[in-house]
Amino acid sequence: MADFILFNSYLILLFPLFSFAIIGLGHINSDNKFVAKFAIAMSSLSLGYALLTTLAYLSQPKHTLLAYDAAWLNFAPGLTANLGMYLDPISVMMLVVVTVISLLVNIYSVGYMKGDRSFNRFFALLALFSFSMLGLVTSGNILQMFVFWELVGVSSYSLIGFWYEKPSAVAASKKAFIVTRFADAFFLLGILLVSFYSQTFSFQELNSPSTALLLKDAGVLTLGTLLIFAGGWGKSAMFPLHVWLPDAMEGPTPVSSIIHSATMVVAGVYLTARMFPLFAASETTLFVIQCIGAFTALFAAVIAITQMDIKRILAFSTLSQLGYMIFSLGAAKVCADGGGHHGADVNPLGFSAAMYHVFTHAFFKCMLFLGAGAVIHAVHSNDILKMGGLKQLMPKTYWSLLAACLAIAGVFPLSGFWSKDAILLAALQSGHTVTFLVGLITGGLTAFYMFRFFFLIFHGEARSHLHHVHEDPWMTWPIVALTVPTIFAGLLEHSFVAQVLPPHLGETGHFAHPAWLPWLATLVAMTGIGCAWLLYGEGKTEKAAALQKAFGPVHTVVQNKFYVDEVYLFITHKIIFNCVAAPIKWFDRNVVDGTMNLCGWLLQVGGKGVRLVQNGELHLYLGATVVGLIVLLFLGK
Amino acid sequence: MKLLLPDILLVLLAALIMGYDLYKGKVNLTSTVPFHFAWLGLCAIFVVLLRLPYDQTALYPGGYLVTGTSLLFKQVFVLSALFTVLLSGSYFTPGGNKRGTLRHRSEFLTIILLCTFGMFTVVSATDLLTLFIGIELSAIPLYILSGFYKEDALSLEASTKYMMMGAISTGLMLFGLSFLYGAAGSVTFEALAKFCTANPDEPLLRLGVLFVLAAIGFKLTVFPFHMWAPDVYDGAPTPVTAFISVSSKAVAVAFLLALLYGPLAALHSQLQPVILILAAATMTVGNLGALKQERLRRFMAYSSIAQAGYIIMALAGDAGLGRSSVIFYLFVYAAANYAIFFILAAIGRDGDEQRSGLQGLGKNNPVLAAVLMLTAFSLAGIPPLAGFMGKFFLFAAAAKQGYYAMVVFAALNSTISLYYYLLLVKEAYIIEPQVARKPLMLDGVQFISLFLLTAAMLIAGILPSISDNIMAVAG
Repeated sequence: MADFILFNSYLILLFPLFSFAIIGLGHINSDNKFVAKFAIAMSSLSLGYALLTTLAYLSQPKHTLLAYDAAWLNFAPGLTANLGMYLDPISVMMLVVVTVISLLVNIYSVGYMKGDRSFNRFFALLALFSFSMLGLVTSGNILQMFVFWELVGVSSYSLIGFWYEKPSAVAASKKAFIVTRFADAFFLLGILLVSFYSQTFSFQELNSPSTALLLKDAGVLTLGTLLIFAGGWGKSAMFPLHVWLPDAMEGPTPVSSIIHSATMVVAGVYLTARMFPLFAASETTLFVIQCIGAFTALFAAVIAITQMDIKRILAFSTLSQLGYMIFSLGAAKVCADGGGHHGADVNPLGFSAAMYHVFTHAFFKCMLFLGAGAVIHAVHSNDILKMGGLKQLMPKTYWSLLAACLAIAGVFPLSGFWSKDAILLAALQSGHTVTFLVGLITGGLTAFYMFRFFFLIFHGEARSHLHHVHEDPWMTWPIVALTVPTIFAGLLEHSFVAQVLPPHLGETGHFAHPAWLPWLATLVAMTGIGCAWLLYGEGKTEKAAALQKAFGPVHTVVQNKFYVDEVYLFITHKIIFNCVAAPIKWFDRNVVDGTMNLCGWLLQVGGKGVRLVQNGELHLYLGATVVGLIVLLFLGK
Repeated sequence: MKLLLPDILLVLLAALIMGYDLYKGKVNLTSTVPFHFAWLGLCAIFVVLLRLPYDQTALYPGGYLVTGTSLLFKQVFVLSALFTVLLSGSYFTPGGNKRGTLRHRSEFLTIILLCTFGMFTVVSATDLLTLFIGIELSAIPLYILSGFYKEDALSLEASTKYMMMGAISTGLMLFGLSFLYGAAGSVTFEALAKFCTANPDEPLLRLGVLFVLAAIGFKLTVFPFHMWAPDVYDGAPTPVTAFISVSSKAVAVAFLLALLYGPLAALHSQLQPVILILAAATMTVGNLGALKQERLRRFMAYSSIAQAGYIIMALAGDAGLGRSSVIFYLFVYAAANYAIFFILAAIGRDGDEQRSGLQGLGKNNPVLAAVLMLTAFSLAGIPPLAGFMGKFFLFAAAAKQGYYAMVVFAALNSTISLYYYLLLVKEAYIIEPQVARKPLMLDGVQFISLFLLTAAMLIAGILPSISDNIMAVAG
């Protein structure tokens, strides 16, 4: 029975694909109610089968298995790309996360998108998005993953730009697509490089120690792994490729929710985890990963403090949390000088903690976005200065979001506490003190900005005129449902640490477990919350405004996101457009187009000739046959 | 006798339908019973074919050989006949087609079935005589079928032209076969093969082969023997056009495979340059001719000329890859071609079968428009559709022999073809209808057929098991 379920696990992907095809092709103009029901039904089936698969997977002893595997493209003898369903702890975990979030977001969207004229298109694209992400996490080889990786990119593009009448949405979707595609170009180069030397695409073989040795001997290990990581760099929006993520909130809020929690941005982290054994073979690669992660975590948290847009705050918080996951993976490499005498060079906790944080973060971040969406729906504004006093009007949202904010701040005993604690512990154990401190400080900042967000929305008096605010049940219940994993996912800590391990792990060694760490982390979080309470607890902004004045220019720089966007604009518009694009454009317009037009003209003339000869006269046809025969005899001589 | 079962059933089915016609036909001219007999029978034969063992061969008296490869070809023929029968449904129904209603359904069906039996003979032959009889058995019925609109001048013209050109090609073929016989002193493949291996440079052999190549070039629409195709495709009734474009081409390919990788294998390396030149010329002419065709049946003629070019290119490959890639491509090509012809039938209900009949399809019938788009993409060879995989294997067969320039040339040609296949899509989605038209509708048979064909195009493109199976049998 278990084998049967596992063999057919591709059904998890097929349900959303089917939903996309049916809604997209057949029911784009149909009744909204039918489409909503159908989408939710398909999403539920997908979730149901994902849970069955999880049970079946847990009931069998193997760590990694290819539930379905077939040759797909035979490039050259010995280099074949397969199509497969790759099941291991992290892909099974992601299957559950993606299907759960996808179902809840589907339900929520029924309320959120009510009355939108493209209601059906939305559900079709959402299904495509889930399909792509599910395909990505279950890919058995890197080429298959790349195909789904790009599908994720395309579907996110069409969802971010869902309201394509809005120029800002179009700009945001283009930005997201171009930035991630830019990174993907390196990813593809990495795939080519690594598969050229290793003669394989399969993850199982790529992650084996012999491949790492082979690549090291060829001298391409670090370059190849860094190129592959570049794909994740863009998708997971690490500095300096983070610029697309804050803008991506131009899409409908349920889209932001699913992008920020279960799909898209997690793909980069997932890729790093998937290729972890190979990455871990190169010290440089993991060091780069760790630095980028830690820097992004702190950088984004600082920006989040100054933002006024409800979704932007959450976007920067996602960046910061992704930074945690990435640096945790990087910090799995034990520091050579600091704590190098533990008998191992890889600390498995870094890996499991990162995956655990992916898991817990998905739920509370999804909920935060859904809650933000509900608030926006009620207030009709994204500006937290226009909110306030919503506690009484939206009590269910209030209490749920309180849980989410406590979780992301890392307060005991909510889920975020456990995963963040595990990450900090991993960094400390591996001897990366600087990274550990960055993580600790970022934790404090996180607590601060999340409660600034929370108090400004819900506490005090309403700062603008609100009329008939109510909680739509379609939207409220998914939010309430998400409180369950947000609060209780901490219970899974032990199984994550014990079971979610990278394959091909050698000696694991013994690591110290300082008892003071949870206390310190909680103290930092509480300090953050305390500061937020002092400044914003009554839902007023006067104290903060005074503080803001004191900081003056620093605040301005931070509020403008360190002007990274402006730097990009300068580089692209001033330098690339004028010095590179303009000459190329001239060349393209005149030389390339000219050649193409010439080809087209020649072909059209040729076509005219063929049709001219074809005049319907039988004797001509017979003559052609005879001449053809003579020429053929001559040719074959 | 198990391996002979499909052949026997096919003849019995033809006899049954003919018998029904003799017994009842004059009483009830519009009866649909033969139609149901025919498609049910063909489905049954297909099921039988699928259940036969593909790793066995059996030689029957009279030199009738059944192998895995021949069974694969029989699958193509049976499927093609089945979809022709299904396609013909609306053409025999009063009001089902603007051009007129076809009559004598039982005769039509019997001829299709007997023609298919001729094709079965070609893939089972072990001597030149059986081969020749098979190819004639499959050719002559087509001349009759092309003129099945008995009052339509265009249809009769097509039939006449087809027969005249066919007569010439039969002459050439007999001429060529007699040279082969003269050289080897025997008509059996075995003796011919022995002679070829011993004397590959014998001029008589080469002469014979080139004559045969020219003759089969007629059926395969190889340039410059293709010129009948646009006129006949345009004049013949649409189901017949579809049948010619798939079955007749498939049997010609089977014929060439049987000779080139069979008794004449020793000459294969000498013939490769000739094959490549013919392939290059054929695909170019087909693609150029299709560029501006408004009339869809004519358009399909050029399109299938170009497709024939890709197919013969793969015949320059080695036996294993050449054979398997061509057979896989025939399946793929058949699915896409029949899908287009079913759409043609839908257009033809209330209008001329012209490209402008597709206008407004994207709005009126999005499902049909999507099917059209997928089909066009499959014909053009765009992943992940079956057409891409099919072309990939064809190109690989030529590339493996080191003919990279040819592969590049074929890929460029494929780009040209994308232009005119996209014109279909453009017509359906972008161009606003000039005059008000009735929205295209499908009847039940058409809907189910199109569903099956589309599913086949998608599945064969994504799932590798189908091509793997063919490789295992024919490779």
